[in-house]
Amino acid sequence: MIIDSQLASFFTAAALIIIGLYAALFLDNIIKKIIGLAFIGDGANLFIITMGYKAGGIVYIFLPDMTVNWFAQNASYPLPFALVLTSIVIGASTLAVMLALVIVLYKKYGSIKASKILGAKQNQETENSIKGDGL
Amino acid sequence: MNPLIALMVIIPITCALLVNLFHTKDKTVKILSIVVALFLPIIPLFTSYGLHYFGGYMTLAQSPVLSQWVPASITNSALNIFHMGIMYSFGSAQQIFIVALGIIAFLAILTSLSETKKASGVYAFLMFMGVASMSAVILTDDIFNFYVFFEIIAIAQVGIVIASKVKGNLEAALKYMIIGGIASPLLLLGIALLLGVTGNVNITDIVYSIKTGLVNPQSPVLLMACALIIFGWSYAAGLPPFHTIKSEIYSRALPHGAALLQAFSVFTLAAVGIVILRIFSYLAFSKVIIIALSLAAMILSITMALMQTDFKRIIGYLAVGELGYIGLGLGIGTSMSITAGLFQAVNEAIITAFLFIGFGTVLYLTKESDIRKLGGMMVHTPKIALLVLLAGLAMAGVPPLNAFQSKLMLIQSSLNAGIPELGIIMILLSIVTFMTFMKAFYAIYMRSKPKGLKISNSKIPKATIFSLVVFLIICIMLGLFPQIVTNYLQPLATSLI
Repeated sequence: MIIDSQLASFFTAAALIIIGLYAALFLDNIIKKIIGLAFIGDGANLFIITMGYKAGGIVYIFLPDMTVNWFAQNASYPLPFALVLTSIVIGASTLAVMLALVIVLYKKYGSIKASKILGAKQNQETENSIKGDGL
Repeated sequence: MNPLIALMVIIPITCALLVNLFHTKDKTVKILSIVVALFLPIIPLFTSYGLHYFGGYMTLAQSPVLSQWVPASITNSALNIFHMGIMYSFGSAQQIFIVALGIIAFLAILTSLSETKKASGVYAFLMFMGVASMSAVILTDDIFNFYVFFEIIAIAQVGIVIASKVKGNLEAALKYMIIGGIASPLLLLGIALLLGVTGNVNITDIVYSIKTGLVNPQSPVLLMACALIIFGWSYAAGLPPFHTIKSEIYSRALPHGAALLQAFSVFTLAAVGIVILRIFSYLAFSKVIIIALSLAAMILSITMALMQTDFKRIIGYLAVGELGYIGLGLGIGTSMSITAGLFQAVNEAIITAFLFIGFGTVLYLTKESDIRKLGGMMVHTPKIALLVLLAGLAMAGVPPLNAFQSKLMLIQSSLNAGIPELGIIMILLSIVTFMTFMKAFYAIYMRSKPKGLKISNSKIPKATIFSLVVFLIICIMLGLFPQIVTNYLQPLATSLI
């Protein structure tokens, strides 16, 4: 049975979010956690794109041979696509900062295990002195 | 249309880019930062209230040239009055918030530049970027634009923590980003659901669609959107379950950075809270959740503050606990309570910044923030000690300081709303807040100096003392004349009911 492509996209988005949540919450490897976070973001983006989908619709570009009424009835909704483009950029920058942090922390701890890096922090609760003037 | 409205965002962004560009030139960064930061609280004072449409796109009804090309099926529908582009809305409440944010930003930037040997262009960039984004969050009437700047604030906050070079800062930053990596897409999903139901991201239009029955207000999708947006709100503001990481973020930043970070959290809490009330106030459960989260924040954070030994962590937890008062004001949902909640937001942002910068002088002189290793500071900095004590009294709500007025209004509004239990909890937690503050104050200032403690001979920069005095003057002024702020917040609070 062939299911509706919009419905299939919604299911895919839900699957991405659930897999991402699992990875982010339960995996110990920080890189895998970050991949999980990227999955959650991608799931949310796919969800938004899917909402703009219109079966048999056309791309939102008004061509000279189109009438306004026909265009208004057949063009897909462009707003979600514009939003997702921005959302992807934000996701990419957040991802870049997280990966940069992992590189620095890997050099410090020699590991990418969350239990080691984030757990070690708990032991530093009382060590709050600052280096130089801080900046 | 008023172009000055957009300048409140454009000027700090431009300054951020310039200080980053000239980050190696110490003098340029300092002069540029101080001059622009000085203008931050001044611009909103000279800007008239109104709307700003980006790209000049208003509604079809207001654009006769454009509407003649559009089919009658659209011009005869509600689409005719929907907004076509991103819109900023500037009213009296926004003015107060941006002025308060500008004052805190100016004093935090001034203190940071005076307390560091060499100005960091990158650090100033992050501060200005955060301020610009926060201003946008306060002004915008577009919920997706709101999300975009919300994310930029999160990155700026993490950047400030990373640039602070305090021990454990990288770990805290990564943890905050991982948690944000879960919470932010869920907030986006909530916004997506709103878009799916109403076909719109403009908050005014979404409210119109719901209130006029264009969409079913009881739609389960809207309920889900409300839950997801409240979850994102908790993350942004540091309400439970995010109170621990939020206070940790404050404690891993330098005091002037933490002063700004907490201001971002406070104003985000108020701004998102206003959006939630505007869209979902018809759902009784939304207010119940807001009250429950606020109570949890107050009880958990203030209790945890009692157990801390790091003064930055103590203030961090107290700051998160005080957020609960703002949430309670919004959650009670009367005109008086919302005014009180928003007034408390302004007060809390100022008082917590006052405390962070005040206690920051201890860190400046000793490089130590563990209260078990501190003591005898009263002898070295008696005037600063008095200022810090007054900041603590202000936070606890002692008259005639500002938080007394907002907390009194909150307690009165809880009594008027028939929920006296909330008033009792607020009074009790104010007492615990005072106890917690006094514990830290006694350990740092009044106890005798421990043997191993090294206190630098350098003087506290005059800019830091100036900042503290300005904060104190504001606290006293707002305590004696609360109507300076409440009169400006009242119209917004009334419109939210």
